[in-house]
Amino acid sequence: MATTNSSTTPEFPRDRLSNVSSAVAGPTDVAPETTNFLKIVRAMPLRVKMASLWLLLVVFGAIYAKLDTSLFGGALPLQDPNIQTNGFIRETGEFGTGRPIEGMSGSHWLGTDAIARDTFARIVHGSWVSLIVVVVSACCGIMIGGFLGSLVGFVRGRVETIVMATVDVILAFPALVLLLALVSIFEVRNLFVISAVISVLSIPAYTRVARANSLAISSREFVTAARAIGTKPSRILFREIIPNVLPTLLAYTMVAAAYVVVVEGSLSFLGLSVQLPTPTWGNMINQARRDIKINVAQVIWPSLALTVTVLSLNQVGDFFQQRREVRGSNL
Amino acid sequence: MGVIAMRRRGLYRAVAFLAAAGLVAGACGGSDDSAPADTTEESSEEAEAPAEESAEEPAEEPAVEAGDEAEGDVDTEVIEEETTIEYGGSVSVGLEAEATGLRPWEDSCSSPCYNMMIAVYDKLMEQDATGAYAPYLAESITPNEDFTVWTMTLRGDVTFHNGVELTAQTIADMFPIQQAGAAGSGAVTAANLVSVEATGDLEVTYTLSQGGSAFPASLARAPIGMVFDPAAAAADSEGYSMAPIGTGPFVIDSRDLDNETTFVRNDSYWGTDPDGNALPYLDSISFRPIPDEGTRLDALLSGTVNAMQTLRQGTIRDARAARDDDGADITLWEFQGNNLGGGMYNVLVPPFDDVRVRRGLTHLNSQEQVIEALGGTGISLPATQWFSPDSPWWSEKVAEAWPQFDFEGGVAFLTEYINDPERSDGKAAGEMIDVELSCPPDPTLIASTQVVEQAYTATGLVNVTITNYDQQTHIGIALGGENGFVGSHQQHCWRWSSDDDPAVNLNPALAPPTAEIAEAAGLAGAVSPLNFPNWFSPTAFQAVVAANQTDDFETRYGLYESIMLEFADQVPVYYSGHTATAIGTDTNVLGLNSWHVPSGELGIGFPSAEGRWSEVFIAS
Repeated sequence: MATTNSSTTPEFPRDRLSNVSSAVAGPTDVAPETTNFLKIVRAMPLRVKMASLWLLLVVFGAIYAKLDTSLFGGALPLQDPNIQTNGFIRETGEFGTGRPIEGMSGSHWLGTDAIARDTFARIVHGSWVSLIVVVVSACCGIMIGGFLGSLVGFVRGRVETIVMATVDVILAFPALVLLLALVSIFEVRNLFVISAVISVLSIPAYTRVARANSLAISSREFVTAARAIGTKPSRILFREIIPNVLPTLLAYTMVAAAYVVVVEGSLSFLGLSVQLPTPTWGNMINQARRDIKINVAQVIWPSLALTVTVLSLNQVGDFFQQRREVRGSNL
Repeated sequence: MGVIAMRRRGLYRAVAFLAAAGLVAGACGGSDDSAPADTTEESSEEAEAPAEESAEEPAEEPAVEAGDEAEGDVDTEVIEEETTIEYGGSVSVGLEAEATGLRPWEDSCSSPCYNMMIAVYDKLMEQDATGAYAPYLAESITPNEDFTVWTMTLRGDVTFHNGVELTAQTIADMFPIQQAGAAGSGAVTAANLVSVEATGDLEVTYTLSQGGSAFPASLARAPIGMVFDPAAAAADSEGYSMAPIGTGPFVIDSRDLDNETTFVRNDSYWGTDPDGNALPYLDSISFRPIPDEGTRLDALLSGTVNAMQTLRQGTIRDARAARDDDGADITLWEFQGNNLGGGMYNVLVPPFDDVRVRRGLTHLNSQEQVIEALGGTGISLPATQWFSPDSPWWSEKVAEAWPQFDFEGGVAFLTEYINDPERSDGKAAGEMIDVELSCPPDPTLIASTQVVEQAYTATGLVNVTITNYDQQTHIGIALGGENGFVGSHQQHCWRWSSDDDPAVNLNPALAPPTAEIAEAAGLAGAVSPLNFPNWFSPTAFQAVVAANQTDDFETRYGLYESIMLEFADQVPVYYSGHTATAIGTDTNVLGLNSWHVPSGELGIGFPSAEGRWSEVFIAS
């Protein structure tokens, strides 16, 4: 019968570490078949499918609009969002024949705004700002907030106390007020600045979510096992904790994105987002409200775009969070 | 309610731009006939929007004499009519903001605040319907030969709401308070007022440091002209704002900040109407701040208030639509005076220090399009000077000289500057110029800013950055207290002029902006922080000083015309349109347009949506 020398730490083969983790059934490995895209789509209720479709449209529209202006010089079939159709046309030496606050027509599907710009084009172009702000804030939130949360949830101690106290202070402060204060620091407010400011404010929420998950995962068997075999903490963090926190963060991202869209819209409405004449849904609502008695549709179209997008993000986010919870409960 | 049948002379506004009236105006305006390039295939559209004429054919506009009504002017004619005056009732007025305070010497007021102040205070002078200054609480005022000493006689038997009698000493005692007040000190300085003495029971002598033929205009403005009880003010300055004491037609009853301020009838008011009936007619009047334009109009339409004020063309447009299209029972008392919108270039900041840039940018300013963006088509007139066509100071010569929209002309000026190797902004020849275009973040102003921005951008010669700062910051940037009042603005939205005497606005606007410039011009000490564009012209300054030292209208007219011509040539400022304002009321609220100065002449009406409430009544 073979015996083990108890005075020495058992040497666990390094190449089997991941197998140990897997054997303890880390959450990422519970149901590998669910990564199948078609299965996910099939599992979606109709409202989530519709929401996803809308979000795809928004993303497509934003990219299309950006390509149109930056790559194709406005050659793609979408009107220039800043061209006033009643403005002076240098080539002809005359003013355009467009009219402000026009209703829906073949040439202007959603009508025109107070200075005769095409509302449809402005809504499509406006989605670019929302998209960029969402993507940047999500990336920053996941990378910085996610990492911080995972780290402090794993290492605990004084670092955790300091980081979470800071996070709590930031989260306790009214978000919009803090945002207004930060934005007002910058004289020039471009997409980079706005994205950066919103991203900074997104980090605490991601940190908290990541930390909560990190705490739970840190007490799992596969982490304990990894510790027991003497795996370096950094390796545990990057190989065991973060990969298991990430899916939760991604699911949270959709819900956070809805919040970010609303925040950017609020800033735009207050005239504190990207500088004019760049279209955003918020500044479109702000500019159209003056003429609400004449043509309420000019307020409704961008409001609808904003509302449906936020609703869609919530629907899709909820769907993925529920899937995540179900998977978690299966463990 | 008591009823008095009487004959009254009323200044009735016909509210000129009903749709039908617009058609007539469009047909009579001459533009359709004279601008064939603009009428092709659009005749029906132009008929619907007669004021949207191109600004390219200024020479073909019909000549307008100073003092005449012009096409598109919302002011209406004076008519005689039989009206039945009724005593009693209350009026609730929706204002665009809460009053900053109710102390004329301290609180810098704008239109909402004046509406309230004028209910409780009387002014020493007032403007009549011709714009001339007439004694109000004063009985007479006469200058010495060089306009450095003004002797005023007060009306007798006037008492404050607290029973204190108004005497010459009251006016003299007011002076130190005005000198120390935030609003009063500037007005005292601008009027060159150095002393106020009681030289009789009711005789007051004002002494100025230099001749001021327009000094009565200062007595028609709140900071110096509104009469308050100096003893009460000195005793409790802060409390005075909440419980103001004047000699006016109404007495403060309650003041609930940001909600409602109510005044009740002053039973011992000294004023009477031309038929000798005691004023005021109303039992009470209350003011409610309703900042949102749409909500304020809705409050009137729903009966929450029975009067409201607005200084926005878009709201006037919506109110007209509610009245004309939806049959709302409201009357719009519209006024379009000398006040005008537009902006300025900071001429101490490159590239605006070069007149070619200013001229180029001004030529790119399509006034008609800007007015349309402001919602003022058919409401506001394009402006070419600090006076509207119905002002006696208006000059056709200036109107013709003002740089009209001319895209290629503007491009030519800008190109010349850009290709100049010695260009002032330090950039290399051929590089685009940078322009920061700044306006407060009001949707109306944002729209008009973007019209200008597009025109600049379309040249391919101008990099435009649009910035929006709140009103206070916007003003602070232009004032530039931290950098010797030069300001850090570049191209800045601004309002110009008023219905006051031209001296009131032009004197401070044309004085040297900095100590260095003043010294260089041999005018040490004559610095004005209110010269916001920082443009100083010795000839214009001499003209404004000379105009202040004579009361001969023709001489003054010529001098102010020369200043306006220099503006048209050097363009330190630019214009969009004259500001239309309105007070909307229920149709049974009458008398806003027919108040009188004590001599029996009609008063000026309601400039800048500032009503005079003493002769307002509610018809049953």
